Amino acid sequence: MAMSVEEVEAAMIEKATKSPKAQLYIKDFYECDSERGPRDIKNIANGLVKKGQMMFWSSGSTTMYALPSRIKNEEGAEGVN
Amino acid sequence: MAKHDTPLLDELEKGPWPSFVTDMKRQAETHPECWDILGQLELSYKDKITHWKHGGIVGVFGYGGGIVGRYSDVPHRFPGVEHFHTVRIAQPSGLYYSTKNLRGLMDLWDKYGSGMTNMHGSTGDMIFLGTRTENLEPLFWDLTHNLEQDLGGSGSNLRTPSCCLGESRCEWACYDTQDVCHHLTMHYQDEIHRPAFPYKFKFKFSGCPNDCVASIARSDFALIGTWKDDIRINQAAVKEYIAGNYPSNAGAHAGRDWGKFDIKKEVIDLCPTGCMWMEGGELKIDNAECTRCMHCINVMPRALKPGKEKGATICIGAKAPILDGAQFATMVIPFIEVSKENEYENVIDVIEQVWDWWMEVGKNRERVGETMQRIGLPNFLRVMEIEATPQHVREPRSNPYVFWREEEVEGGWERDVVAFRKKHAA
Repeated sequence: MAMSVEEVEAAMIEKATKSPKAQLYIKDFYECDSERGPRDIKNIANGLVKKGQMMFWSSGSTTMYALPSRIKNEEGAEGVN
Repeated sequence: MAKHDTPLLDELEKGPWPSFVTDMKRQAETHPECWDILGQLELSYKDKITHWKHGGIVGVFGYGGGIVGRYSDVPHRFPGVEHFHTVRIAQPSGLYYSTKNLRGLMDLWDKYGSGMTNMHGSTGDMIFLGTRTENLEPLFWDLTHNLEQDLGGSGSNLRTPSCCLGESRCEWACYDTQDVCHHLTMHYQDEIHRPAFPYKFKFKFSGCPNDCVASIARSDFALIGTWKDDIRINQAAVKEYIAGNYPSNAGAHAGRDWGKFDIKKEVIDLCPTGCMWMEGGELKIDNAECTRCMHCINVMPRALKPGKEKGATICIGAKAPILDGAQFATMVIPFIEVSKENEYENVIDVIEQVWDWWMEVGKNRERVGETMQRIGLPNFLRVMEIEATPQHVREPRSNPYVFWREEEVEGGWERDVVAFRKKHAA
């Protein structure tokens, strides 16, 4: 049975929590629901950012995702987004 | 008065050319943080390493692009550049600014940032260099509400689409580049403002093969205007050029005496496919061999014009040198109609076919051109459901192996083993 959006969100947060790396590429989340296409996964990940449960980290050329609790901005506080 | 000694940077002011160091010193008179940029740059020249930290989490609410976090790694020495974020402002199509708009943007940047700009970044955005985190949201509010302008793309987003000035000024434009650029910018707002891909993706739209926005060299998806039928020739005008009555290149190189116009030397012998010749006092073109290089049209614009059956060529996969070397885009679709009536549906279909495949197959930080290179053009054409044509072949093969697919072999992989063994003992 296909996973619900909520179940995929939970799987993504679990992956971002347990991963040894604080920042993950969007492709790292594809395995959270292999039945969904990349666009769906991207939309769910961006939805998590909108809800404040995930954050973007950008080098300027690449964007990655991270849990707010696992990443700080350079000013030492949790970021905006 | 200078806040830091900058003997190495000062050397860059001694040449006859304009110096960014001089510009920054002048800017420091009203924005003292610019002294700290000069100080930090001087230190980088001494240390031979950058003192900017890489990336960050700064942005504006709801957007995942448009702001690039930059911090100094020596803020105690240069507090003015402790935060020095870059803001990318979406440029108008064809870079048509009104002076009112430019003044508004400069006032905005004087208020919230260093006042330093880069006109324009290689993606096409106007780049505002240097502001602090706490200024980002107020700046974004004023930009969008007072100037009705938007941030551009950055990170793994679709980058701000850019185009040449197209039909607004140029008689060679084979489609309305500004309209396509605007339409796709609106159509793909989500992809521009939030990350969607394994890496950056750029659109550029050129109205003709002169490619004034360098789309073939600088975009993942280049839509370059072209024509299907024959170059239009005005033989009377050709004679006027030969007689020296019309200036070649529309007088663009008239600053010195180049001697009498020589159509053989300056046009016919420079045709890359040798498809032009004079016959009975008339210029002839074997249009089937023309590669749309535009040279003859550029030299004799009153005599030659693009054909009437216009559209575009799609080239995919250009990039600057990051992981691998720089590469030009590969011609994938020789001709596609570009029609406003169907809201560019056929162009959008191609874009999304590329994206669907690249999002699945592309590795992290791999541009689409690198993914194409990794799997090979024949496989990419199969993905795109395009039959290979001679124009897809860049060079004779160097790989001696031929790999057949099942559908290309008579009878496929299935065979009657009993019948085979009657002729071939095990």
